[in-house]
Amino acid sequence: MSTQVHATLSEDAVEQISEDLGEPEWLLETRKDALAALDDLEMPDVIQTPGRKWTNLDALDYETLVDPLDYAQDKDRIDAEGVDVLSWSDALDEHGELIEDHFGSVVDTERDYLTALSTALFSAGTVVYVPEGVDAEDVKIRTTMNSRSLFNYTLVVAEESSSVTILERQTTGEDTEGDQYYSGVVEAVAGENAYVQYGTLQNLSEESYNYQVKRGHADTYGSIDWIEGNIGSRLTKSSVETRLLGDSSESQIVGAFFGHDDQHVDIAARVWHEAEHTVADLVTRGVLDDEARSVYEGVQDVGTEAWDTSSYQRENTLMLSDESEADASPKLIINNHDTEASHSATVGQVDAEDMFYMTSRGVHPEKAKNMLVEGFFVPVLEEVAVDELREDLDQLIYERLRE
Amino acid sequence: MSSDQDHLKETDTEARFEFKKEEKSAFETEKGLTEETVRVISEDKDEPEWMLERRLRALKQFQEMPMPEGWPGAPDLSEVDIADIVPYIRPDIETRGGAENWEDLPEEIQDTFDKLGIPEAEKNALSGVGAQYESEIVYQNMQERWEEKGVIFCDMDKAVQEHEELVKEHFMTKCVPPSDNKFAALHGAVWSGGSFVYIPEDTTVNMPVQAYFRMNSEGMGQFEHTLIIAEENSEVHYIEGCSAPKYSAFNLHSGGVEVFVGENAHVQYSTVQNWSKNTYNLNTKRAICEEEGTMEWVSGSMGSKATMLYPSTVLKGPGATDNHITIAMAGEGQDIDTGAKVYHNAPDTKSTIESKSIAKDGGRTNYRGLVHIADGAEDSSTSVECDALMFDNDSTSDTMPYMEIQESKVDVAHEATVGKIGDEDVFYLQSRGLDDDDAKQMIVAGFIEPITEELPIEYAVELNRLIELEMEGSLG
Repeated sequence: MSTQVHATLSEDAVEQISEDLGEPEWLLETRKDALAALDDLEMPDVIQTPGRKWTNLDALDYETLVDPLDYAQDKDRIDAEGVDVLSWSDALDEHGELIEDHFGSVVDTERDYLTALSTALFSAGTVVYVPEGVDAEDVKIRTTMNSRSLFNYTLVVAEESSSVTILERQTTGEDTEGDQYYSGVVEAVAGENAYVQYGTLQNLSEESYNYQVKRGHADTYGSIDWIEGNIGSRLTKSSVETRLLGDSSESQIVGAFFGHDDQHVDIAARVWHEAEHTVADLVTRGVLDDEARSVYEGVQDVGTEAWDTSSYQRENTLMLSDESEADASPKLIINNHDTEASHSATVGQVDAEDMFYMTSRGVHPEKAKNMLVEGFFVPVLEEVAVDELREDLDQLIYERLRE
Repeated sequence: MSSDQDHLKETDTEARFEFKKEEKSAFETEKGLTEETVRVISEDKDEPEWMLERRLRALKQFQEMPMPEGWPGAPDLSEVDIADIVPYIRPDIETRGGAENWEDLPEEIQDTFDKLGIPEAEKNALSGVGAQYESEIVYQNMQERWEEKGVIFCDMDKAVQEHEELVKEHFMTKCVPPSDNKFAALHGAVWSGGSFVYIPEDTTVNMPVQAYFRMNSEGMGQFEHTLIIAEENSEVHYIEGCSAPKYSAFNLHSGGVEVFVGENAHVQYSTVQNWSKNTYNLNTKRAICEEEGTMEWVSGSMGSKATMLYPSTVLKGPGATDNHITIAMAGEGQDIDTGAKVYHNAPDTKSTIESKSIAKDGGRTNYRGLVHIADGAEDSSTSVECDALMFDNDSTSDTMPYMEIQESKVDVAHEATVGKIGDEDVFYLQSRGLDDDDAKQMIVAGFIEPITEELPIEYAVELNRLIELEMEGSLG
């Protein structure tokens, strides 16, 4: 661990951050409450079975590592016509009330220790506001982390009958070394008949620990689609969640990950059906090489009032190395009998027959394997409507296979 | 006595499960659990010193271990207070270790088992019947020809005395140590009765061996222990049925089952559990399967207030196979949390888990399962299939599988579906002249058929009868 002197976690540091960003009093109070709650909060839930803890979040001493006042980063925001894509300070000026209405309404600011830490210390924020009836494509947020710790917050509000596609990329700058910690919280609100597609491509340095919570509320006829691509980081703990609160609302969660070396990827996709005629589709595919380890949890929770629910979940893991490990737990919690729900999960390796076919056609075994792995991701990539995200993800998979 | 099939045709099925008897016992321990209680149990059974030591060690572990709480969606066990449970009641019989002939049993015990159809079942050429009434085996018989081949089927207390070396080696050591969980520790401290089955090498017992357990006193616990040892190339099918009449205080059933499947041996263990709706059924069942051995679990969970039961198999030898077939049915006030655990610890091991559940009238079913494939268990495969049927909107149906894969050369698949009873199916059957109830019963019978066809006919009939009984109330 670095011996460099840095500001420690304290109320002063929180006040400093809030003042730098020109925040109103209520937000400072929320931050202070979260800071004060840290002592009593637990780490995010991790699946445990007899003799096995699926993810170890205690490997990092967060309070010592984080440097509350150093949040060097490059942020590149590309907005689309009719949409406000604003930095946190600008957003507070222009949409103060909107922020006060929605901040913490989707993701509990004190959900667990790491979320509360993020609430207290976030310094990089983005607000995407889509007014009623506006259709916007290609909103892009690119974050390059240039500090030891970075706490990011994003709020998306899509008003009635609007639609927006947002692509977020997270990378690490070249000069950053040693353990790093990235924390990201995303809240998305889809109004009546609104459509939000939010894609993330995480390619942080492999010395970074990455904690993310993305959660959305979908109103009547609203729709929230998440795309979760994980390539980088040493350890990722990411939860992607949608509450289907309005009748006929829908959500799709598409996930793709590719772990190598000693990477650990822990991904959860969760959907709560809380109204009538709601639809959810959860699709995740991942590949593991070397000593990489994956953890997948899927939850489809159908509430008592969720009549006429359709809910589907698929998860497939491909293991390329004997040293890799894969844990999976797709859960169904059904409280309404007017439900059609299914889930499936598989773990396996590259199909021997497919390999035989390819090599019998003269393809070199290494190349054949790479082609089959790329092919394995196709069903997931096809679900990605954002061209740039799909192409970038495809490219990163291609590069990793040829490392 | 009645003819072969008479008990199966009995019209008043309700009477078979709802009746209860006046309690009349010779000996009853004080309520609650102390070292003194454990010593009294052991002394009363005239056990060797090592067994008393194991009991006391288990008691210590029980006192130190936490309740199995904090699992997502685990049944509420807050009502389970060991201080309220009488762990050991020995029925009033002259002969310790059970009566030799059915007729020697006290009349009301005979009557109880008559209503359950036990002697008839025996007459139907089953190999042996062990019936446990409260804590001790009261009747047990093993057909002579099996005894000649060296097959042992006796009650567990007798086995401690007569087959001490076998029991000492296998009893709660390698398979289910008391440290496994709090209720296994409790079981280790106060276990009483149960069956001991030993099948020598190269022996096939081609008729099912069965035992029946029944609790009759209010506020009691039943802690029977079943130990099955199947040597190399042997084969046996063991059947256990359970029921208890209804009482207002709660009962606790915390049984222990240990199965040792030798090389190339084949053991099938079938249970139909129909404890009364105030029983907490917290069991630990486990099998260790050697090279090329096969373990099959067939379980039906119909009764109890809350069940937590996850029969597990450790596939220890290469080429070992495990099959699980489970069916759970939860009605009003019931929480049936059941599933399977399989550890693939050797190459070329295979497991299949098939689970069917039915939730109705506010009941909750949960499939909770764990498949673990250890590093080095190459070319192993596992397939898990869970199907759930829901009757109404007050019920809950959960599925919580866990898969831990540490080996890449494997084939792992899990699938689950949940749905309601199909309106179209019901409509079709109604259009063929069936009424709503019969149509639904028929659909349920079809839904669980993969399970019933694995059971001997008497049990399949009993299972269907129980389901009919369960369904009558809600659908009438």
